[in-house]
Amino acid sequence: MRTNDNVMLEIRHYSKSYGAGKKAVDDVNLTVMGGDIYGFIGHNGAGKSTTIRAVVGVLDFTEGDIFIDGHSVKDEPMACKRVTAYIPDNPDLYENLTGIQYLNFVADVFSIDAREREQSIRRYADLFEITRDLGDLIGAYSHGMKQKLAIISALIHKPRLLVLDEPFVGLDPKATFTLKEIMREMCQNGTAIFFSTHVLDVAEKLCNKVAIIKHGRIIASGTMEELTEGHSLEEAFLEADGDE
Amino acid sequence: MNNGIVLLRTLLLSTSGRNIRRHSTDKKKRRRIIGSAVGVVVLYAMLMALCAAMCIGFGRIGLIRAVPEMCALMISALAFVFTLFKTNGYLFNFREYDMLMSLPLESGTVAGCKFLYMYIKSLAWYVSISLAMLIGYGVYARPSWVIYPVWIVLSLLLPLIPMLIASFLGFLIARISAGFRRTNVIQTVLTLIFTLAAFSLRFVIEDLVRNDRIEYTLQAASAISGGASGVYLPAGWFADAVTKGSVSSMLLLAGVSIALFAAVFAVVGRSYRSINSALKSHAAARRFRMSAQKQRGVVCAIAFKEFRRMTGSTAYLVNAGIGVILSALVGLLTLIIGPERIINMVTHDAPVDPAMLHPAIPFIVYFFIGMVATTACSPSLEGKNYWILQSLPLEKKTVYQGKMLYNMAMTVPFMAFSTLCLCVAGKVPAIETALYLLLGLALCAFSTAWGCVCGVRHMRLDWENEIEVIKQGAAVAIYMLPNMFVVMGLAVVSVVLGLRMNRLLLALIFTAAATLLAALSYWRVMALARRNDMGKRKPGHA
Repeated sequence: MRTNDNVMLEIRHYSKSYGAGKKAVDDVNLTVMGGDIYGFIGHNGAGKSTTIRAVVGVLDFTEGDIFIDGHSVKDEPMACKRVTAYIPDNPDLYENLTGIQYLNFVADVFSIDAREREQSIRRYADLFEITRDLGDLIGAYSHGMKQKLAIISALIHKPRLLVLDEPFVGLDPKATFTLKEIMREMCQNGTAIFFSTHVLDVAEKLCNKVAIIKHGRIIASGTMEELTEGHSLEEAFLEADGDE
Repeated sequence: MNNGIVLLRTLLLSTSGRNIRRHSTDKKKRRRIIGSAVGVVVLYAMLMALCAAMCIGFGRIGLIRAVPEMCALMISALAFVFTLFKTNGYLFNFREYDMLMSLPLESGTVAGCKFLYMYIKSLAWYVSISLAMLIGYGVYARPSWVIYPVWIVLSLLLPLIPMLIASFLGFLIARISAGFRRTNVIQTVLTLIFTLAAFSLRFVIEDLVRNDRIEYTLQAASAISGGASGVYLPAGWFADAVTKGSVSSMLLLAGVSIALFAAVFAVVGRSYRSINSALKSHAAARRFRMSAQKQRGVVCAIAFKEFRRMTGSTAYLVNAGIGVILSALVGLLTLIIGPERIINMVTHDAPVDPAMLHPAIPFIVYFFIGMVATTACSPSLEGKNYWILQSLPLEKKTVYQGKMLYNMAMTVPFMAFSTLCLCVAGKVPAIETALYLLLGLALCAFSTAWGCVCGVRHMRLDWENEIEVIKQGAAVAIYMLPNMFVVMGLAVVSVVLGLRMNRLLLALIFTAAATLLAALSYWRVMALARRNDMGKRKPGHA
């Protein structure tokens, strides 16, 4: 285990190739501190999801290493997963479970006691306005409702690192606002948030740090101020994209 | 609570019909679940009847002592083959992999729970066989009452060892495939090789234990099961436990099952993530250059889509393709080594004149060809992509025609090849060969259309894993099992009738009957298409 004050996520020289072909992600280095809202932006197929899936321990990799709260994802995956929550862009949930059955499953895995889980589920389900739907089968949910359920399941165990892949896709405006508020609140409580997005406006308003990835390589990263230098994030992104 | 138990309980709950019935507000979906359950119970009853009939046969000729070994071998063989088919999709490459692996669950726990889930879901089949054989054994052998609970408990353990061996083979296949760029192709080829090897294992065992003095088929089967249980030790342990009350055999069966489970999942858990990462990742070549494109007719386009769907999925390709491959292999083998040797192998040297079997050729070929019709599972396989076909300006009639065209395109060439091989090897006269080809064509048409009726009637789009509809779907079960039993019966009937009447006339009668059934099934498909087009059935359920 590595100890480094407040570093929640540290990606060191991470590369990923599929087969013997070229690298999907090449030598990515990133550091996300507790309290950071870190935006990860790039074109479709740039390597965002490949990086995120490796961070959350879903994708195997051989080059480089990833540390969560000082624990290596490769060597201590359980220690990493216990403090992490992941919300994929298109959550594959058990369609024949009800919403509440699914949330209870996740809460059981994280050993959350009955009273605490009830409070968390009640709070977040009310915020996302799906309390009344929790008794229905997930198969009957819309895409947005599934996304809300995945978000609630990620929040109920109070993660110290929240990793989200395109979290705003499919959410209605109110749910988008709610999620942003929750992210801000978590960040104030010291949780680190790392998320990918295409919506540059959201990233600009929400994030304090940003990294831009193109063809698997980080082409720019830093605080929002360092990256934009008085311009909009969109302009900074297009400029960085054009320079490469 | 232990995370493994939590996961296993959730996996079972997520596919439990009772849970869906309790929480779904969709009446049709609830009715479908009851219908499927009734259908599956009927299939269990058929299987039990077949096993009971087998026991009666053994009992009548005084070979009831062979039944425990037969039971153990039958359960083990089925468990092995079915698991080998299901490993990819259940253990590896499943849909909710990302969700599960992002949770604090050990890789070995996920793999072990997936295995136990597969075991529990298929247990009812093995228990049906075991109970039917226990009843037969009880009636003829009149064992002590202690044997009954011992038999039942041990037969619950019987599938474990072959399933673990098959899972380990599946793991090896996945591991080898994961090292290649075209993982899917390698995985399919290796699975087919292992499956064919498993099918031929029966003959290998038979050769090992062959007794030159075998005279009758049933006695031969009994001798072979006795010999095979010497090769496959768990069958012998089971037999010893239930016939001699051997406690050491009981402990061996239980102990080896548990130890093997622990060993297999300790190994599988170690490289589980890397294998799944490789299987679920697809390299992007990004080398495409626009060139001239081909235009296809609508029905052909749907048929081609079916082809791509099938070749894109190892589970689908192996399960639906095994029949046609086996038919071609049987044809080739007969051509190479001659029909006499094949007949001797199958009938255990019973005195059978090869010419007597000529009328059964189309049914022998159809037994393999019609094993699984792609049309039985392809409507359900649309799954979450069903919206694509629904939103296109297509009538259901056209969609089903496309699916049927694909099944015909896949089965007819193999049927023709295999029938020709058998006819040439058996020196069947040309006119008879032509009629057998015609009968084969009619049977392929029937299989295609009847499969489509089952597929559309029992369409299920809300599956978690494609294996659920390829291997365990109500549509496939309702199509496959009666089809196999009936065709075995027809093969026997054709041989018996062939000895009493003109074979050409017999082939014509069978062809007319098969054509009529195919036409009726096709008519039924069109009726279902009209009904679905009128919106009487909504997407998302059958």
